[in-house]
Amino acid sequence: MTAPMTAVSLSVVPTTMAPPVLSSATIAMMLADARLPVGGHVHSAGLEPALAGGMSPAQVPGYMLGRARTVTLVEAGTAAVARHVALHEAEPDVFGSAQRMALALGRVDRAWSARTPSRAVRDVSRSLARGYQRLARTLWTQHPAVIASGLVSTPPSPTLSRPVLLGIIAAAAGLDAESLVRLVVYDDAQTVAAAMLKLEPLDPATPPGWVLAACAAAEEFVVDLAALTSADAIPAWGAPESEGWAEAHSRTTQRLFRA
Amino acid sequence: MLENPTPPITAPARSLRIGVAGPVGTGKSSLIATVCRALASELRLGVITNDIYTDEDARFLRSAGVLEPERIRAVETGACPHTAIRDDITVNLLAVEDLERDFNPLDVVLIESGGDNLTATFSPALVDAQIFVLDVAGGGDVARKGGPGIARADLLVVNKTDLAPYVGVDVPTMVADAEMAREGRQVLALSRTDPASVDILADWVRGLLALHRAGTHTPQDPGPMAPHFHADEEGGPGVMHTHDEPEHSHYEQSAHSHP
Repeated sequence: MTAPMTAVSLSVVPTTMAPPVLSSATIAMMLADARLPVGGHVHSAGLEPALAGGMSPAQVPGYMLGRARTVTLVEAGTAAVARHVALHEAEPDVFGSAQRMALALGRVDRAWSARTPSRAVRDVSRSLARGYQRLARTLWTQHPAVIASGLVSTPPSPTLSRPVLLGIIAAAAGLDAESLVRLVVYDDAQTVAAAMLKLEPLDPATPPGWVLAACAAAEEFVVDLAALTSADAIPAWGAPESEGWAEAHSRTTQRLFRA
Repeated sequence: MLENPTPPITAPARSLRIGVAGPVGTGKSSLIATVCRALASELRLGVITNDIYTDEDARFLRSAGVLEPERIRAVETGACPHTAIRDDITVNLLAVEDLERDFNPLDVVLIESGGDNLTATFSPALVDAQIFVLDVAGGGDVARKGGPGIARADLLVVNKTDLAPYVGVDVPTMVADAEMAREGRQVLALSRTDPASVDILADWVRGLLALHRAGTHTPQDPGPMAPHFHADEEGGPGVMHTHDEPEHSHYEQSAHSHP
């Protein structure tokens, strides 16, 4: 599933429509970069709700490990299946393929919803997804999955969740499945780490070690998650206390972060 | 090629988007309330607030009773109010689009920045025009300090002029300083208790809306760093410069103060 590591010659990069050939690593770096303007800076991956809910700052490394082996794997599995759907259903010359793609993506999204019991968490994911959708519709305009996402994902109708959008972008941009899974794990941990430095400042060289630990904790699941092709197979691990904090946070009026 | 011409696109009504920026406590929320009070009967208005702590400003505006509460929405900024209006405007853009969709058509959407320092300005990709707000209580010399908002916002407001006698500030002098910093761009000495000044503010909005509707208004970027003045140590004329002169060195300057 690894995208070819082809060197890009600028003279042969098409100027319209077809995306240029890029390596998975480049796409992963761009999507993992906190500077990517998709509104991610207003999120803390549940950290602000957790601290407000009484979790000790000393428990943050454990919090990150816990997420990396539960809810983050649900996100990663969802993204992997969405990527598979976005690639598999993107057959040309099939009448009604956009509608079929939209239905298939909607099924993946419902599987994610069923595994994400907190409405607050779902709402936040869908709002963050809109930033990604904006990006996708600008960069990968012609990709069938991006077009299909517009059929099911235009407000005020429910917006697709963030992992589904990430899967669509992975398919459109040429990000391989294992890199996609690792991206989801890394991004969640790094979001916590960056928010930590705003909420409970400490030596900034410390949280990056927690990020690597969280990524390591999820590594044993990466290959299996990347191989998922069916929404039914997406894992259903949960983090009920974290979801409770998210629900409480969504009702407060004193927030630095959306979630 | 198709024989028939492209059908006209009936885009949803795009409001005039006005940003309101300026240091904390200078009266941005109050100014927005004043605009709403003056214009709500003739224009369809909406408001987005960007508070440091979520919805403080939105609640103030709702309690002011100048607009239906549903037309006033708050976004989180992840402790980065300058990012949310400048380099990653995603959450604000989505909020404006939602407001325009839910109350279509809207004439004007006012976007209040979180109170930030003198360097925070709006991206022209988010707003069509911006008001920068200072107040007399912040000190009569603030206007002289310059900065992109003071120098190049579409309108500079010197607010709370009714307080001038109590804080020892001469309003005409402060306005003259501001006009010099702005090279003739408009400065408005405003007090919500001074109906004549409120009329000028309302007329400024009406005039801008007319230009926007006529399609003759082009958003201007105040820039991240305005040209500013270096006092000469020897009492000479000093030097005006911008920071995109690569050959310029600061080390030789004596009285250099960045906003």
